[in-house]
Parts: sequence; C-alpha cells; structure tokens
Amino acid sequence: MKYISFENFKNLIREVSEEKEVITSFKKDTYYDWKKCNGDEIDLRGFRTVLPLKYFFFSPQENLIEKEKKSFFIVGARACDLRGLELLKKIYLDEPEDPYYKKDNFIISVDCTEFHDNCFCVLLGDTPWPDTGFDLNISVLEDGYIVEVGSENGKEFIKKHENYFRDASSDEILKREKLREKIKNELSKKLENRKIDINKLKEKIEKNEDVFKEFGSKCVSCSACTNICPCCFCFFLSEGNKNKIRYIDSCQFKGYARVAGGANPRKDIIKRFKHRFLCKFSYRIDMQGIKGCTGCGRCIDGCQGGINFKEVIIRVNGE
Amino acid sequence: MDPYKVIKAEVLDVKDETPEIKTFVLKPEIDFEFKAGQFIQFTVFGVGEAPFTPSSSQFEKEKLEVTIMRTGRVTEVIHRLKKGDRVGIRGPLGNGYPLEEFEGKNILIVGGGVGLAPLRALLLSLLHQRDKYGRILLLYGAKTPEDIVYKNEFSKWKEKGVEVLRTCDNPDNSWKEKKGVVTCLFEDIKIRVDNFISVVCGPPIMMKFTTLKLLDIGFHPSKIYLSMEKNMSCGIGKCGHCALGKYFVCKDGPVFKYSEIKDIEGIWD
Repeated sequence: MKYISFENFKNLIREVSEEKEVITSFKKDTYYDWKKCNGDEIDLRGFRTVLPLKYFFFSPQENLIEKEKKSFFIVGARACDLRGLELLKKIYLDEPEDPYYKKDNFIISVDCTEFHDNCFCVLLGDTPWPDTGFDLNISVLEDGYIVEVGSENGKEFIKKHENYFRDASSDEILKREKLREKIKNELSKKLENRKIDINKLKEKIEKNEDVFKEFGSKCVSCSACTNICPCCFCFFLSEGNKNKIRYIDSCQFKGYARVAGGANPRKDIIKRFKHRFLCKFSYRIDMQGIKGCTGCGRCIDGCQGGINFKEVIIRVNGE
Repeated sequence: MDPYKVIKAEVLDVKDETPEIKTFVLKPEIDFEFKAGQFIQFTVFGVGEAPFTPSSSQFEKEKLEVTIMRTGRVTEVIHRLKKGDRVGIRGPLGNGYPLEEFEGKNILIVGGGVGLAPLRALLLSLLHQRDKYGRILLLYGAKTPEDIVYKNEFSKWKEKGVEVLRTCDNPDNSWKEKKGVVTCLFEDIKIRVDNFISVVCGPPIMMKFTTLKLLDIGFHPSKIYLSMEKNMSCGIGKCGHCALGKYFVCKDGPVFKYSEIKDIEGIWD
C-alpha cells in the first residue's frame, strides 16, 4: 500500500496528461460528471457520476471500422462502475472477442466518501469501495491518498513514478479501514439496514406479477434506465456505407425483440419492465456469473416515469 | 479476426420457390464452411442484414443456398437481388444440429412453411452419409400447394430413402395428399419413439403444437430439437436482442433441445 500527497498527485496527473488523455470525475452543482483533466483541478471526494464509465469503453454510436484505438487514463471511477465493467468484459471479451471494446484503459478508482440519495450498493451486499477491477485504487485521507495496486499495469505505473509515492504507514491504512466502515455504515443506516439475499431474489422476481404491474405501468419506454446503467450492454447492429455501425439499444423499446414476421415476445410493457429485472438478477448470474445491477441508482436518477427501482427490488424481496 | 466483418459473396442464381419465397445461391469469396442448423447474417450493403439458416448441405463446399421469405425491410430488398449481384455474409453463427449424436438413430423431421429451409440443410447433410442413420421421416405442412418450397425435390428425397408425408391447410381440388395442419400427419405414421430423435422448424404456433404432439406420443424432451427464431442482430452473443430467458439464441442456439428451454416463459411468443 502506497501513500501520495494531494500536491504530488496533481503533479503526477499533470505529467501523465502530457502523454495520455486523462479523464476525471468532477463535481458540477450537486452532481458529478466526467471531463478531460490536466491535473490542475482534481478532487476525488464524493460519489459516482451521473453518466456511467462504460461509454469510455464503447461508444453509444460507433463505426465498426479498424482504426487505432485511443485509450483513456481514467481517474475517479467508483466501485459501482468497476462492477459494471466486470459484466461488460464478460460479454464483450468472451469469444469471439469484440475488437472494438477498449480493454486498454488505465483505471484509477476511488472509495466513495459520500453517497447519492439513490445509491443502494450495500443493499445488494456490495461495498462503496472496489475490491477488484482497478489498476490503482485511491482512498482519500485528510492530506493525501492511500493507493492500492490492483494489476500488473498499476504496479508498473507506480514503479515508473516512484518518486511521487512513499509507503503508507500502518496508521494510515487503519484510517482507511475506519473511513470505509464509516461510509458503509452510514449508507446501510440510510437503507434502514436492509439486506437482500441475491440468491433468493431470482425466484421472487419470477413469481411476482403485482409489483411489476404496479411500477411497470409508470414506465414510458424511454430507455433512460438502460442508457445510464453501468451494466446494460445491449446494442443494435446497423449497416453503414462500408462497415457496420452499432448504436446502443434498449430492451425497454417495444420493437426491440420483434422479428420481421411480426412476432414479438415482449410487446407488453410490463413484460419488458420485468425482463430487465430478470436479466439483471437471474439471467446474468446464470450465464456470466455476476449480477447485472450494482446498486448505483442511476436508473432512479434518470427515470422519466418516476420509478424507484430500489423500491421495486425491496418490494419484490418482501420484508 | 473481426466478427463484424462480412465475407463478400456473389449471387450465382435466384430460384423462385413460392410467390413470397426465393432461394438464393451464393458463392462466397473465401472458403466457407458451416454445420446444418447454424445461421448466417445476410448483408445487403448499405441496407442492413438479417439472419437466415442456409438450406444447402453442409458438405457442399462450392456454394451456399439461402431460402428467404419476403417479410420485412431487408428481405424486401433481398428479393430484388439478381444473378451477379454482390452481397455479404457473416458467419457461420450459432451451434447447428449435432449430427454425430444422430448417428445410428431414426430421425423424424417436422417442418412448416419456410421452416423447411434449415431442415433441408439437415436432410441433405444426412443423405450425404445416408447409411449412418436409420429411418428418416419428413412431415411437411404448408398453407396451400403453391406455398410448398422445394417442390421438385421431394421425389428425389423419397428415392434416397426418406419417407415423406405432406399436408396443406387450404388445398385446392388438385391436392391429393393430406389436408390439415402438420400435426394431423402423425395419424399416418407408425413409429416406436425409443430410438427416434425429432427435429422441428416452422412458425411458432406450428412448433408449439408439434412439440406437444411429440411429447404426447412419448418423445422425451431431450430428444426434440427445435430451431428457435429470434431477432438476432450481432450474432455473437453481445447485443442482447435474441434473449430467450437466460440464453442468447444466436450463441447458445439457434438449435435447442426442448428440455433446455421448456421452463422458459413464453418460448413460443
């Protein structure tokens, strides 16, 4: 475990930004967004951005044509983003590998120091800090950062820039653990210390009709929830002039599963609404081994029908 | 290897099957091999692509046949293709029929309408090594005699040892064979299901009632092979369009044993 002061970190990022495109999260009014960064303004406290990290790994609309891929140096990814990427990697990099998925981005993630009103990762048994999926992870102390290495690339990076770092003291590491417990407990408390057993949720979703009817009837099929979800990966492959083009797509659109003959297994809006939960808590677990929801609550931020997806899960789960 | 890249192919011939169905004979620019039951994405450059299962034998190396019904935006344009036109294909995609598992067994093939296309690929592949298999029965149903595909081929198949029974829902007076939906042909066959496997392809409603019939006469769900039709887009298990419960039909199918999918809600929708 390493330690780096705020000042050193800024200088380090400034140095990196001369070679690579650095993207960082930053606070804008009451929410967080992504921007290009040269190290000058960097503040890693706070919670997840509104837009998920996934769009730095594939574009919402892209020409599938061989070209040199520009990779990003990402600073400020949150645990929920990384958990989403774990699923995306299983989809896009499973055989046959998608050559347009950017797997070479360098990721510096950060422990959440606050949470958004809609955050609910701990409800699903996850934590507001990442355990895996990063090159480096940062925990914010009063005067600097604790840095944990998560990959070979991360290890090499530190070695290359070793003059910016020193070893973290056991006291500092202890502080990190205390801060982590504190934020987790605060979020748990806000969620009334509820815990959902993901293994039992699948069957409850399958059997439930009423809750999906109640909440699904408010859905306007706008696709905000899928666009903004760090786990949703669906796209539509279309024809360009000389190559394929892909656009992000949404299982919440009526025509999504329709075949040319007219058959449509999910023309009913309630079926589409429920399908999204089955995909996340049943199908993905069965096929990719991880759930398709990270509890980031972005779908709640974005929902035009005012649906609180966290409440749907709580209601289906039952008390 | 870029799985989104198409293989260019030339249209060698276009055969009219019915007023709405044509068979396109394609010559891919590079060697192209597939297993019967696997599918391809057929690209019309600048227009779009749509999924079809080749209808020719998997042992035919020189060319590829694809039988296509005019039913949507892309197939409308495909039907205007002429000999000499250039198109694209991606594939082969999906899993195909497990021919090795069929060896030594009797095979009951049940098709409806244009659903005979993948079954023709299977049938021709079986006939390529006819002695490896037991009895081969083909039950085929179409709406009217005019809607029957591969009209001139049934007699050839019979000569090669296929027992063929056909029916039409709405035949005219010239029709001498069975009248009714495809499941009524089961009245006319005598089989002991023990050493049989069955393969079904057709419209969803036909697949549903055929499957129920097969179960009724004693077929185990694991002995019924179904070619599922879904809205395949990427064809490689990434885009999500063809979800059938936990499966992606493009990657885990399109051929499924009924036992694999029987508990999924709305499989026939």
